[in-house]
Amino acid sequence: MTVGLRLFLSSAAFGVVIALAYWFTSRESIGTLMLGIMAFGLSFVAGYMIVAEREADLVGDKKDATMLSAAGELVGTYTVTSPLPLGSALAVTFVGLGIVVSPVIAVLGILALLAFGALLIIQSR
Amino acid sequence: MSAAAMPALPEAAQRHNLLSWLTTTDHKRIGILYLLTSLAYFGVAGFLSLLIRTQLARPNSTFVNAHQYAQLFTLHGTAMIFLFVAPFAFGLGNFLIPLQIGAPDMAFPRLNATSYWLFLFGGLVIFLGAATNEGAAASGWTAYPPLSEIRVSTGLGQDLWIVGVFLVSVATIVTSINFVTTVFIFRAPGMTMWRIPIFTWEMVATSLLVFMAFPSLAATLLLLLVDRKLGGHAFDPAYGGSPVLWDHLFWFFGHPEVYVMILPYFGVISEIVPVFSRKPIFGYTGLVLAAFAIAGLSMGVWAHHMFTTGVVNNPFFAFVSFLIAVPTGVKFFNWIATMWRGSISFETPMLFTIGFLLNFLIGGITGVMLASPPIDYQAHDSYFVVAHFHYVLGGGSLFAIFAALFFWWPKMFGVKLDEALGRWCFGLLFVGFNLTFLPMHFMGVMGMPRRVFTYDAGGPLPMLNLIATVGSYVMLAGVSVFVMNAIVSARARIPVGDDPWHANSLEWWTSSPPPEHNFESLPPIRSERPVYDARVAKA
Repeated sequence: MTVGLRLFLSSAAFGVVIALAYWFTSRESIGTLMLGIMAFGLSFVAGYMIVAEREADLVGDKKDATMLSAAGELVGTYTVTSPLPLGSALAVTFVGLGIVVSPVIAVLGILALLAFGALLIIQSR
Repeated sequence: MSAAAMPALPEAAQRHNLLSWLTTTDHKRIGILYLLTSLAYFGVAGFLSLLIRTQLARPNSTFVNAHQYAQLFTLHGTAMIFLFVAPFAFGLGNFLIPLQIGAPDMAFPRLNATSYWLFLFGGLVIFLGAATNEGAAASGWTAYPPLSEIRVSTGLGQDLWIVGVFLVSVATIVTSINFVTTVFIFRAPGMTMWRIPIFTWEMVATSLLVFMAFPSLAATLLLLLVDRKLGGHAFDPAYGGSPVLWDHLFWFFGHPEVYVMILPYFGVISEIVPVFSRKPIFGYTGLVLAAFAIAGLSMGVWAHHMFTTGVVNNPFFAFVSFLIAVPTGVKFFNWIATMWRGSISFETPMLFTIGFLLNFLIGGITGVMLASPPIDYQAHDSYFVVAHFHYVLGGGSLFAIFAALFFWWPKMFGVKLDEALGRWCFGLLFVGFNLTFLPMHFMGVMGMPRRVFTYDAGGPLPMLNLIATVGSYVMLAGVSVFVMNAIVSARARIPVGDDPWHANSLEWWTSSPPPEHNFESLPPIRSERPVYDARVAKA
């Protein structure tokens, strides 16, 4: 079991304990629900990591690994520059502004977001 | 997946024109953008605080009116919390995490850049409110209903505040996902989790807190927006809603947010103290476990902001709040034990670190006092609380921010900040900070409520307020000296080498500033101090 998985498992367990402790000492529903959702979310991540880790073989987890241990594996190419982040963030901002200022701006934002999404899918192929 | 497996980046990527900055996905550039943007927001928030202090310098002042004053403290608090202290830490994390773990970049570079732009635009949207007819939001950074409801805050400024803070919260969540994925997956060969630097550990703990706390903020903001734009009544008791629901949902985010704003800086201090004490950090494991203990416990203390509502279980929240003092004390003990019998040198980063320790200690102790319901009933919503959280976030985080700037500036820009100007900057900030905020404890004990725009003449309040205002202008002088220092250093451009402090962690192995893909080579990583190990082996 990796340190990361232990981290999420122990956090989830802590979430369950504190949610139960809060409920039994306070009988207050809002806080208990929030702590419960938090514990569920952490458990979900821990569960996902258990499934994902079956395939994992990370050189970073090996105490005596050297650079040679990591040689030979090509995991892809890094995007050095991309207009998508700036464009997508602008589009999301327009959606938000549109909700409070004018629906026209929101529609423009949604259209731009769809266009950037399509571009991202094309670039990722 | 490792640094060795990554292909080298093309030369074209190393161009430094405006377009390359607008489209960059390099974590170091994004980190620097984060840092510069958050510092710019700090400048604006600091200017607003000077207006606040100018108004309060004299009793019955008419420099600004009540509504303008409410806008000032709302924007000041919002900018300091959402746009400066926390994002600055995310900027540091962006720049440092891949370097400290030996990775070529973040796990999701484009997502990383997107979160930066969302943060920038979110902040601009918040300030856009000031340009509307009825001005910016004026309900405080906590936006308590009914103050933030449409029946009280009728202007567009409050709506823009909600949208802006929502965008910033989304950016924060996305960045945290990136941090955790990067640390878990992208570590260099031999860089096991128990060898990663404390700063990176603190950023993992911070990210975990963000996962747990920020969704609550985002959901709460959407509820408020539904109330304002679609006629909802979630927080309106006349229609079955409850303002206390806001208190619960907001503070479920709000108190962990305090630790989002301090845990990264605990990491900064943990990096600086051993370097300038010429000793390994004392109790590496203890420091890591203390960070997660603080993060976990901070999720169970939200209602200590609601003691006086009378509808929460005060003993439960008081007990958990007291508990947080234990892991925080562990950290203090470890820092002091690291310095103990060390060969301490007092360069500027270490001076700011010592300033952090002194100021944060006061903020921590008053925090323990306020965790006690009987004291909180007396001090609630008074200037004592203002003094407390400024000692934590100003005296603590701000001093750690300056320590980080002086410490990592050579790595970021390849030049060192001037030591003499650095000492002036520290001295002015330390004196100015304590002149400003120490008197506020006494104002609070004397009953001066926070968020009032004026007060009567008579008694000691006018003198205490005048001292605080003078202090705030001394702080302005300190910040000005820092700006001057940055300009002087940029013009002098004296190269400093890869490792000017003889430090320990992996970012000091590479060139200053680092190349696009971070490392030309990596040393063997066999402890949490690989650069120190390599230096010793070479000697």
